[in-house]
Amino acid sequence: MGRLFRQITALAAMNIRSIPQRLWMSLSTVVAIALVVAVLLAFLAMGNGFRQAQSSAGAPDIAILMRDGAQAEINSVVLRDQAVLIEEAPGIAREAGQPLVSAEIYVIVDGVNRANGLKSNLPLRGLSAAGVALRHNIRITQGRMFRPGTNEIVAGLSVVREFAGFDLGKTLRLGQSNWTIVGVFEDGGTVRESELWADVGTVQTVFKRLNSFQTIRARLSSAAELPALKAYVAADPRLKLLVETEQEYFAEQANQSSGLIQWLGWPLAITMAIGALAGALNTMYSSVAARATEIATLRSIGFGGVPTFAGTLAEALVLALLGGLVGIMAAALLFHGYTASTLGANFTQVVFTFRVTPGLCVSALFLALAVGLIGGLFPALRAARLPIAGMLGEQ
Amino acid sequence: MNQGLLVAKNLGRRKLRTILLLVAIFIAFFLYGGLESFQRAFYASSDAAASDRLISVNKVNFTLPLPVSYAARIAAVDGVKHVTYQNWFGGYYQDPKEVLFMFAAEPASYLDVYSDVVMPAAQRQAWLADRGGLIVGRTAADKYHWKVGDHIPISSNIYSRSNGSHTWDFTISGIFTDANEKAREGMVLMRHDYFDESVTFGRDTVNMFMFTTTSTQLNDRIAKAIDAQFANSPDETTTDTAAAFNRAFAAQLGNIALIITLVVATAFAAILLIVGNTLVMSVRERTREIAVLKTLGFSGTTILAQILAESLLLALLGALLGLGFAALLLKLISSITAGFVGSLLMSWPVFAAGIGWAVLLGLVTGAIPAWSGLRLRIAAGLGRR
Repeated sequence: MGRLFRQITALAAMNIRSIPQRLWMSLSTVVAIALVVAVLLAFLAMGNGFRQAQSSAGAPDIAILMRDGAQAEINSVVLRDQAVLIEEAPGIAREAGQPLVSAEIYVIVDGVNRANGLKSNLPLRGLSAAGVALRHNIRITQGRMFRPGTNEIVAGLSVVREFAGFDLGKTLRLGQSNWTIVGVFEDGGTVRESELWADVGTVQTVFKRLNSFQTIRARLSSAAELPALKAYVAADPRLKLLVETEQEYFAEQANQSSGLIQWLGWPLAITMAIGALAGALNTMYSSVAARATEIATLRSIGFGGVPTFAGTLAEALVLALLGGLVGIMAAALLFHGYTASTLGANFTQVVFTFRVTPGLCVSALFLALAVGLIGGLFPALRAARLPIAGMLGEQ
Repeated sequence: MNQGLLVAKNLGRRKLRTILLLVAIFIAFFLYGGLESFQRAFYASSDAAASDRLISVNKVNFTLPLPVSYAARIAAVDGVKHVTYQNWFGGYYQDPKEVLFMFAAEPASYLDVYSDVVMPAAQRQAWLADRGGLIVGRTAADKYHWKVGDHIPISSNIYSRSNGSHTWDFTISGIFTDANEKAREGMVLMRHDYFDESVTFGRDTVNMFMFTTTSTQLNDRIAKAIDAQFANSPDETTTDTAAAFNRAFAAQLGNIALIITLVVATAFAAILLIVGNTLVMSVRERTREIAVLKTLGFSGTTILAQILAESLLLALLGALLGLGFAALLLKLISSITAGFVGSLLMSWPVFAAGIGWAVLLGLVTGAIPAWSGLRLRIAAGLGRR
């Protein structure tokens, strides 16, 4: 057993040291695998970033109530009377005696994308004081919060960065009214940062929706109170509303759209990997062919078939590993932290950051090693079966 | 011996290697054919939109309402031919997660503005006569297995009816095609008057006015005149060509074109390396043979031509297989998808450009080995092993 192991390591080391002799073929395999890995990681990092922006936004102790079947805030309509009923519901947290219930209006306004100069859909959310209080995680990093009853807007940092005209102090014309950006808020890069916030009453007036809202959010005194709220809503025929936690809602939104990105990334990468595999097989077969005499010599002085097999496979795996690592480095350098935006489930732009995470790198490395494994397996079998006498005699 | 036979023999001498190269080339052209066709389909609606068609939407954002009364005032602007309007309905059939590409539209004027929307005269009449009638595009009808005369329930994720329900009953009046804008065949259209009489809110407002002009040269002037007419009113408009509107909307999804270009370029870069290196190696292995051929009187240029022919043949064969397979797959996919993307079928320009890339690939990968074949000195070549 010890002898077999020594033979394997000796042959593996010898093969790997001889890679430079077949520099160009080996290099083309490494680069081809690196390209496959980089493409896969680009898609995975995009999907992951988009998912992260949304799923990290939801709190487990905030309930969101929408019209049953609406699927997204933008489609939902709830009425003032319904909001009042929710304020009386069990399990709702209170601050200074006031229920933390926020009836919110959600409308879409145009912003100009800095990257292409074209109009894009941005959400303008109308909030009451309770609505602001609900979102205690956000930080105002420039200026201040809007004042109730005014035409003031606070903008999420993502909006300010990706779209022109929302910097602190800028004036915005919506319909017949002028609005001023009085503050910029941050929320750790979540989808909330892709929103504009203003006073709910003012938005209702300007957009002529005096008695209607899109959603009701309510802070629960604890996440365990959700069933009580659900039961209360189900028991009242005036409340045909769907109740879920914000966490559930955002997770669903993330799934709906990021599914597509992931759905595209793997098949594309696997298809490309088949091309790279063809290259790897060629490289390894020619490596075996080039070393035929050497292999026969080794076999005749007592090296077994298994070490010959393992040595060739090791060479392929080392090439694949190199390719994988180069691909990961390229992806991390080129894509990690890159921001982009796309239409989310609410028909508005969701700004997200590409995230190349260790977990994704591991999946990408697996793909690279799979190419190496299959690309090395068959040539290694051939190497192990080379007829000794024939090869030595041929010269 | 015939030159062509020599080329074929060279490709056939190491069958496995040739097959593997073909697989690599196949993959690259398969990706190119599939992705490029997808991209064309994706941007098709903006390119196909008739140049005399304009769109007016709310200046704040196109999802916001405008009064339906604007239709008459737009029609009164000099140079405007036909005006129609529509409302996004948020409709779905059975599965709430699969939202239909569905609008409430004014029938007669819609068919005037979208004159490429074609269906049998009887079906057209049926829609004009039946308030609860629905016309659906060919792709949408195929997807949901709808036939003319079918009674179907469609729900809205936005609107409610006065009886509290979210579901409307429709009869399919007609199934239409649109040879010019294939994406339109994924549409479902209900009548705006039916919408207006049954919804609990959103009456007398629409999302969008679409109209044709008497001459494309008037487009700019007409757009300005319309927007000026509603300036400083509670509902200001912004007017643009349908093509520009569609382009801006497509851009909102992201820079799809850039992503596709990068993926295809990466795939090509990988096979360029693989095929190029393998050919260099394969010609190096044949050094002695080439020297022998030269001894027999084959000129350097003949050798060069032979090697280039070999690389071109390889590239073209792989490309034809890849493009062919992509075309087949697209045909399969296009019969099961409906909605926002136009025809996925591979177009001749995509195919022709693919063949062009294959020729370029063949020339580039063959260049170095062909050059070394041309330059090879007999004495040196015969001595090499």
